[in-house]
Amino acid sequence: MTKPPPLSNCNAGIGLRFPHVAEIAATRPHLGFLEVHAENYMAETAALDRLLELRSDYPVSIHGVALSLGSAEELDRIHLDRLKDLIERVEPVLVSEHLAWSAIGGAYLNDLLPLPYTEESLEVFCRRVGDAQETLGRLLLIENPSSYLRFRHSTIPEAEFLTETARRTGCGILCDVNNIYVSAENFGFDPIAYLDALPGDVIGEIHLAGYHPAEDVGILIDDHGSRVAQPVWELYAQALRRFGAVPTLIEWDTNLPALEILLDEARHAQELADFHRYAEFA
Amino acid sequence: MRKSWPISIDMPNLLELQMQLRRAVLGGDTAALAAAVRCDGLDPAARLRIYRNHAFATLGAVLERTFPVVCRLVDKHFFAYAAHEYLREHPPHSGCLVEYGADFADFLAGFEPCLDLPYLADVARFEWALNVAATVREAAPLPIEALAAVPPERAAGLALRLQPSVSYFASGWPIDRIWQANQQSEVPTVDLARGGARIEIRRAGDAVDWRRLDPGTFAFRTALAGGLVLAAAAATAAAEDPTFDVAAALDRVFGEGLAVGFYFVDQRCANLGSTKIG
Repeated sequence: MTKPPPLSNCNAGIGLRFPHVAEIAATRPHLGFLEVHAENYMAETAALDRLLELRSDYPVSIHGVALSLGSAEELDRIHLDRLKDLIERVEPVLVSEHLAWSAIGGAYLNDLLPLPYTEESLEVFCRRVGDAQETLGRLLLIENPSSYLRFRHSTIPEAEFLTETARRTGCGILCDVNNIYVSAENFGFDPIAYLDALPGDVIGEIHLAGYHPAEDVGILIDDHGSRVAQPVWELYAQALRRFGAVPTLIEWDTNLPALEILLDEARHAQELADFHRYAEFA
Repeated sequence: MRKSWPISIDMPNLLELQMQLRRAVLGGDTAALAAAVRCDGLDPAARLRIYRNHAFATLGAVLERTFPVVCRLVDKHFFAYAAHEYLREHPPHSGCLVEYGADFADFLAGFEPCLDLPYLADVARFEWALNVAATVREAAPLPIEALAAVPPERAAGLALRLQPSVSYFASGWPIDRIWQANQQSEVPTVDLARGGARIEIRRAGDAVDWRRLDPGTFAFRTALAGGLVLAAAAATAAAEDPTFDVAAALDRVFGEGLAVGFYFVDQRCANLGSTKIG
């Protein structure tokens, strides 16, 4: 089996979505990496075969959405073993999951649900991250979620919760800049202060995506269904100043456009990262 | 030194809170949880509805992708309603959603508003078998020459392992014709009176293949897939079709790459175990 190429200076990638696979395979666009949702490749589908072909030309990042690291219950060992198998086959450069939970009592609710940020949650979450890392034999990146509600009994600011998780478990952080912006708008906090509260040395990846405003309830919904919004690009520039140029992903999951639009967004992210590098050395 | 934060009191612990949120998402019961949610300028129930709507919209879309013809037969709005009722009672167990919907057909069979479409549950069974075949890899086929190693005195206890992607499916309705008709933009009339179908569904390379089988072949292969020994499968086929030619049928099973292994079942304790050699 050929080894996948390492991440290079070109550090903008896109989420690999089924309708784009054939075009990417045929045209091999210049991209830093491809990211896939782990759960879409756990069955023996033709899509998995295509991914295994593409991995010899592109670094692959595996982004899990269903491990439910924040559940009060033990991890789903079957799911974790399937993730491990996939990692062994794909040999990804990055593996990430979420500061969230999705399943309880045997029901998977297909969403990244919010946790109360309490001491209890922090202990549970760190134990699960530690368990997962031990089984997988590698460190994870943990992504900050977007959210639409906060619990009254939360006592730990989210950025601190993540920072403390990284400190206790050794995991890295996937900083989703759009999620910070969405939650900051939804709850009225300062997104730059959030960025500043994250430890710069453990940021392993950045996510960028579009949101849409649900005007009837005055909430921003993180739907990954449009171009990255201007204020999110501005926050990304701030993140580059704070963390340096780390692998950056354009996520697009709903209302999927032509591949060219995703490539255009990735080029823009790359330009900002290159500009940042240039500015650092100038 | 370990950091510490203020401790909160009189609030649900994590497990209680997650069970309450599960009930809010699946059942719409937000009363218990609302007290634990900050207003932040919007009613907690409205905040919880965002999560509930997301779960039903996305999981409904998963079912629609797996059961497109069922959706077309009942129309999108009714499908969304049926999917909603199904989801409440049968949420997925894992995030590998291509595997969600195994018992949707059984649910439809008992779902009263669908009872005037008696073939609907079988269409769902057919679409589920297509989905399974698309998610299971073909194993290396076994050449028929491998059977030469079987000592004659053990032949009676021989059973075959078939391709893991294959399934056999019989319906009193012409499910395959209904399915095919609904691939077209103008659905042609399907004559339901023309009777049922016996169908084999399997993975073929990247694609999924299905076809009708004659009654003898269908009985033979269904019996083999169910783990019956060769002799018993042959007897089942002969009961369907007295002219059934077992040797030719076995040749076809191997010729089509369906057999992937064989093993022996001890006839005296067939239910207790087997010796696997192939």
